[in-house]
Amino acid sequence: MTRDATMKRLLKAAFVAMTGMSVWAASVAYALPEQGGLGMVPAGSALAEEVHFFHNAVLLPIITVISLLVLALLLWVVFRYNAKANPNARKFSHNTLIEVLWTGIPIIILLVVALPSFEILFKEGITPDGKQVVSRGDGQTVDFVFPNDFPESRMASRAGHLQVILDDGASRTVLKNKRDYSVDGWGERDLVVSLNDPAPVGTSVIVRGGRSTQNVSGCPTIKRYFDGCEKEVVLEPTMTLKVNGYQWNWQYAYPDFGDFDFFSNMMPEDQTTPELYRFEVDNRVVVPVGETIRVTVTANDVIHSWALPNFAIKIDAVPGRINETWFRAEREGIYYGQCSEICGVRHSYMPIAVEVVSRPAFEAWVDSQRALAGLEPMFDTDEVKLAQTANADAAAE
Amino acid sequence: MADAHAAQGAHEEHDHKPPFLVRWFFSTNHKDIGTLYLLFAIVSGIIGGAMSGMMRLELAEPGVTFLTQWTGGDLTAAANFYNVLITYHGLFMIFFMVMPAMIGGFGNWFVPIMIGSPDMAFPRMNNISFWLYVASGIVITLSLFVPGYGSNTGFGGGWVMYPPLSTNTGNPGPAMDLVILSLHLAGASSILGAINFITTIFNMRAPGMTLHKMPLFAWSVLVTAFLLVLSLPVLAGAITMLLTDRNFGTSFFDAAGGGDPILYQHLFWFFGHPEVYILILPGFGIVSHIVSTFSKKPIFGYLGMAYAMVAIGFVGFIVWAHHMFTVGLSVNMKAYFVAATMVIAVPTGIKIFSWIATMWGGSISFKTPMLWAVGFIFLFTVGGVTGVVLANAGIDHYMHDTYYVVAHFHYVLSLGAVFAIFAGWYYWFGKMFGYEYREWLGTLHFWVMFVGVNLIFFPQHFLGLQGMPRRYIDYPEAFAYWNHVSTIGYFVMIAGLGVFVVAMIDAFFIYRKKAAANPWGEGATTLEWTLPSPPPYHQFNELPRFDKGDAKAF
Repeated sequence: MTRDATMKRLLKAAFVAMTGMSVWAASVAYALPEQGGLGMVPAGSALAEEVHFFHNAVLLPIITVISLLVLALLLWVVFRYNAKANPNARKFSHNTLIEVLWTGIPIIILLVVALPSFEILFKEGITPDGKQVVSRGDGQTVDFVFPNDFPESRMASRAGHLQVILDDGASRTVLKNKRDYSVDGWGERDLVVSLNDPAPVGTSVIVRGGRSTQNVSGCPTIKRYFDGCEKEVVLEPTMTLKVNGYQWNWQYAYPDFGDFDFFSNMMPEDQTTPELYRFEVDNRVVVPVGETIRVTVTANDVIHSWALPNFAIKIDAVPGRINETWFRAEREGIYYGQCSEICGVRHSYMPIAVEVVSRPAFEAWVDSQRALAGLEPMFDTDEVKLAQTANADAAAE
Repeated sequence: MADAHAAQGAHEEHDHKPPFLVRWFFSTNHKDIGTLYLLFAIVSGIIGGAMSGMMRLELAEPGVTFLTQWTGGDLTAAANFYNVLITYHGLFMIFFMVMPAMIGGFGNWFVPIMIGSPDMAFPRMNNISFWLYVASGIVITLSLFVPGYGSNTGFGGGWVMYPPLSTNTGNPGPAMDLVILSLHLAGASSILGAINFITTIFNMRAPGMTLHKMPLFAWSVLVTAFLLVLSLPVLAGAITMLLTDRNFGTSFFDAAGGGDPILYQHLFWFFGHPEVYILILPGFGIVSHIVSTFSKKPIFGYLGMAYAMVAIGFVGFIVWAHHMFTVGLSVNMKAYFVAATMVIAVPTGIKIFSWIATMWGGSISFKTPMLWAVGFIFLFTVGGVTGVVLANAGIDHYMHDTYYVVAHFHYVLSLGAVFAIFAGWYYWFGKMFGYEYREWLGTLHFWVMFVGVNLIFFPQHFLGLQGMPRRYIDYPEAFAYWNHVSTIGYFVMIAGLGVFVVAMIDAFFIYRKKAAANPWGEGATTLEWTLPSPPPYHQFNELPRFDKGDAKAF
């Protein structure tokens, strides 16, 4: 075992030991709904930010203006045309121009609403299939090949479907099309990305491609109005989370990481805080941050619904069907949801809690779960680290 | 024969009414049947309203604190009771309050009069239509007292009755079977009633009253009747399949037997979406008349108003899956239903703006019915625009089954349809019962209730945006504030209803002021105002004519 690897492992273990407490303390505050709150709960993913923008900055202003317009017209009518102010009623009953206007203008408004609406719907409804190719820079090579081997309807077909990133180990630079590189081979199986300057030795050239693009997290509202946000290609899922609804708890499985599963029950009142009671569970779902998670949902008895408002997702768990959705958390933290389809007497008491952690912490957690199921560790064979993970878990509780 | 004819003539001349039992139990008179329907709706409204009160009391603060008092502290029984309350509140209010009030009550009373007809086309069918409704109401009430889930009584699976919660998996007891029977009876009743209205409106209009001269309320009931005839059989099919799944071993909706629970949802909402227009369209008709009457102006854009209702009715049949955006439909299918749903906003907007244009330039007196009508226009707009928000599947993945949806459909129903019912009640009160109510009591009723229902339902938008799921007996601490406000709103609304009860007792027993034939003046142009208040037992022995000279549209 090299010295380097040992150091890395120690760091990883130390990190894991800290994760439980720090994540818990940092995240709970922002993910939960607020007492007396008026708006949507904070977005936990870039896509949820788009949903928030669409609701808060597009729909809400439009419906507020329409409601106020109707109210203003009614008030005007009340004050101007009441029997005292206007003793003699006029008798008109037609005005073609105004009728055309109040048919036409709403149609235009609806079109304005429909465009972002469909965009968001398709982003939510199609699990990302973006791919990335990582190459080593050698100070000479300028051409990097991206295999555009998607099904035809999903092929990268314009500059926006590609993302080129230079990673020097410490930081990442997103290159700009035309200024920093050019792309050749549209419509063919292989796309060639030609950098203007060769990638320096020691850097990685990451080429991401695919049609599943979204606005990067944190893009200001004003830029979103003019579609001026930086876009990113969302990569295909790194893992699948299997969710199974029961009366009245959730069962989770991680098919990519071995044959283990667990049930998640609501935490009793005396084992959690007043704010978290009816949200907190005994066994949280744990997923890695920044990675696309495919969620497949079904149910064992009656219909349930797996909802995570922070990620703007809600998908029914239907017996005999496997539904799919996805999310990609931007930040580490704990996110809560609640069963959202009436499922019987304990419908109110089967919450959902998802803990988003770093990749190393996630791997350690997977190995701890595998250990519970009597399986060999998948990511690390270091017994010491496993012991520490168990400690960390205990500390987090 | 000649004698019989003469005897009948004598009856009409003296406005002779049959004895009590014959008049109220074997009635074939559209006005009496209308009154019976209104009474039925009032009784159901009291039951459904009391249920909502129990729900709001339970939700006043987090924790199960109220309903356990009814179940001797048993939490499971309390939770089942809560689910029963939400289920029957929905069923009572939709099937046994709004529908009988609007279609059975006002429809029966005023459609024949407005089109200048002596009665409905099939008076005896009208009678069985009502009594089937009573049977249905009795059966659903019985279902409250037989086991549903375990030994707990009543069916607690929501008014939508999704399987497997409504099959033997979720509610094996007989309560659900009684609910199915009840809805079959109510459906049969409504289909018979709808056929009666369609036949009456197509065949019994006064000479010269073409469809394009027909009052808008008759138009609204005509469209509603078509929706009923086309949608209720689909519900009947769905709940029959549910019945056989429960009792005869079929597996239409059982995945284990090759069925699909989602099939039920498609069938249910193919009925359910037109149903929401069934609930609101007659209200559109009522509000149109009131706005025109009190503005002393003819309806603005009469044809646009009529065909907007036809368009809403038609489009209402092709948008059902917007209730199912989270069940796992394909993304393309969702995109279609988003687009189709948004289309409804256009004819609805036409109606809203046409009502305002009707008032524009008028000489408006704000009597009680007009207050309710103006309140309706504004609150229905608020409920309508949140509907546009929910139509976007991309947002609905967030909002679905949260309190935002509850707020939305109560704005269009509780503050829309119910306001229209009260508007119609005050508008036609003198006409139907021959007495006037005290104006200030009606006004007070409106204002208290306006404040109350807004206080109940507006904060529920916030709860929904914060992510609170609906049909929850208990909720996390963070949702406490707005739930508390909402419950306070309920008490304000109940105070408003108290004023209503006082106003009615006063009108019938204390004030007892005889209503004039037309208390509303020149603006009231439809035929019911040409008759005395209340109208004679049989009206229009000589049909009014619209084919000579004065051919006015309403």
